[in-house]
Amino acid sequence: MKRLILALSSVILAITVNYAYAANRIAVSINPPFVQANMGDKITYTGTITNNSDKAANNIIAYISLANITQGKESPMDLEDWSANKAIKIDAIPPHGTYEGKWPMRLIDSGSYVVYITVVDKNSNIPVSSEMSHLDIKRILRLNPNNVLPVAIGEPLLIGIVFMFIAIKRGNRVN
Amino acid sequence: MKAAYIMQKEIRESILTPKGFLWYILTSIILSILSYLFLTNSELSLLDQGQMLYMIMNFITALGILIGLVFGSDAFAGEIERGTLEALFLSPVKKTQIAAGKLGAAIANWVIIFAISLPYLFVVGKGGQNLLIGIAYLAILGTLLAIIFSAFSMGLSARIKSMKNSLIISFFIFLLAGSPIFLSAALRKTWFGRVLDLINPFADAINTFDSVVIDSQGFSYQAGRVAIICGYTLLSLWFLKRSVSRLEM
Amino acid sequence: MITVENLVKRYDGYTALDGLNFSVEEGDIFGFLGPNGAGKTTTIRILTAIIKADSGNVVINGHDVFKEPMAVKEIINALPESNGYYEWMTAREYLEFFSNLYGEEMSRQEIDSLLEAVGLHGKEGHLIRSYSRGMKQRLGIARALINKPKLLFLDEPTNGLDPKGRRDIHDLLMDLNRKQGTTIFLSTHLLDDVERLCNRIVIINYGKIVRAGEVKKGTIEDIFFLSTKEGML
Repeated sequence: MKRLILALSSVILAITVNYAYAANRIAVSINPPFVQANMGDKITYTGTITNNSDKAANNIIAYISLANITQGKESPMDLEDWSANKAIKIDAIPPHGTYEGKWPMRLIDSGSYVVYITVVDKNSNIPVSSEMSHLDIKRILRLNPNNVLPVAIGEPLLIGIVFMFIAIKRGNRVN
Repeated sequence: MKAAYIMQKEIRESILTPKGFLWYILTSIILSILSYLFLTNSELSLLDQGQMLYMIMNFITALGILIGLVFGSDAFAGEIERGTLEALFLSPVKKTQIAAGKLGAAIANWVIIFAISLPYLFVVGKGGQNLLIGIAYLAILGTLLAIIFSAFSMGLSARIKSMKNSLIISFFIFLLAGSPIFLSAALRKTWFGRVLDLINPFADAINTFDSVVIDSQGFSYQAGRVAIICGYTLLSLWFLKRSVSRLEM
Repeated sequence: MITVENLVKRYDGYTALDGLNFSVEEGDIFGFLGPNGAGKTTTIRILTAIIKADSGNVVINGHDVFKEPMAVKEIINALPESNGYYEWMTAREYLEFFSNLYGEEMSRQEIDSLLEAVGLHGKEGHLIRSYSRGMKQRLGIARALINKPKLLFLDEPTNGLDPKGRRDIHDLLMDLNRKQGTTIFLSTHLLDDVERLCNRIVIINYGKIVRAGEVKKGTIEDIFFLSTKEGML
């Protein structure tokens, strides 16, 4: 029994140490931690990735994620329309060095969101994520749809009328 | 002057006809639907006005190219198939003058499409950024692209002498030119994607619109792409001249 | 009027014209005969400066066809065998368009008299699409007369016409030749056309001349019969 407890303790200790090593080796933070903006605005998130170890961290991948947490609309978002720079590949971060990545983002839809940056290090089995930055986007429509109606209806009609006029004029010339 | 008579004939034959007007009415209906959706549908109106203007500009350019290709495919092959080209060749008019007249009509067709699109551009881009400069770029690059694709398909029509076949090849070229749109943003950022974008005059035009309207960048950013489009224009005119001077019944 | 020397034209290894030699005098109605595929249309296209020959010389009224095609086109005109029309035009618009290409704006009266000459008077405002085959053929001839040519090439002008239509075209061509002195180069395979109209003929087959000479009434069928018997046609 004692031997079993000892073995289990060793396994748990090994996992904990490994996790602690990974967590400590790379750290990532996101800025700003809270954003309130309007639809259509462009904002930029900055991710600071720190290498806490004595060895250089090579081939790191950092990417940004966005999740909608609006009541009833909870889902991860496809960032294609929001930002083209989803992932950044970092060749090397020197020992105890930092890397600053920028993620510009166009705010496409209103609602409450959380944004976070995740760092993947191929030497570690566990990804590291930043804390969540809260993003509140207010709905705002600066467009006036009433402007479009006269053109949208009027122009095809106008072309039709011009055609009728030409056709009648031509008809009069032809016997 | 003789080229002007040919151009006049082409305009009467292809533009001032029920078929020609059907194209224009369809163009305006599609633009009406597009602008209405942009400005009223909440999903699409999330885009800012610069983005909408850019999208409409791309659409107008693509439409101009497409109609130019149809125009060009009919130019010589259509006349051969209808048996009307021989009478033209019997007149003391040089083949290059005939080609110039036909190309003039294709450009007139683009000018009409551009004129039809102007009210939509103003409604969609009103109050947004870079509206006038965007329209100026559309006028210039759209005209050059209309020349490139019409001249190319006219040359092809003179060489192949079959309207159906030159139309099929022209559509294939159109799809090829439009293919960067289907590539993902990531793929377009690779060296291969960049080269593909640079050598494609249609992609050069839409990237220029993007840079001018959305990113508000000046002419120095556009010069390279505009130069490539000008190069293609000269190349297509050369191709047309060469194809037409070799044309025999 | 026309001198043709050693005319050769090849298409992808096939020899369409194989050293053709003949001449046409001013005022002739020259019959150019031969079975289908003999090279008649190719010859007319070369003579009217529409296509180029591989070798040989063609001189029309002192102008080298290959070196001065535009000068030749000013003094000749032709009605091709499969002549298409801008069917959305009226006859008047059609003639106006082609007269503009000759750099001569024809007056309304000139167009009227031309249409009258070909028997289309009163139909000038109708769309060509509404014309019968015979009417289209007359309009084609009117188009070919627009520059008052000294030399007129006609490729099977009576093909597909009814007897009355053919007779009308015959009368028109005779009139042109006699009253205006127009030299006519007539390509046909209808012996009746030749006998009624032509004073000289050349018969070609496989791009070579098989017979040439003057036409005397009642001899044309004999010439053809003889050519067939000798294996030339």
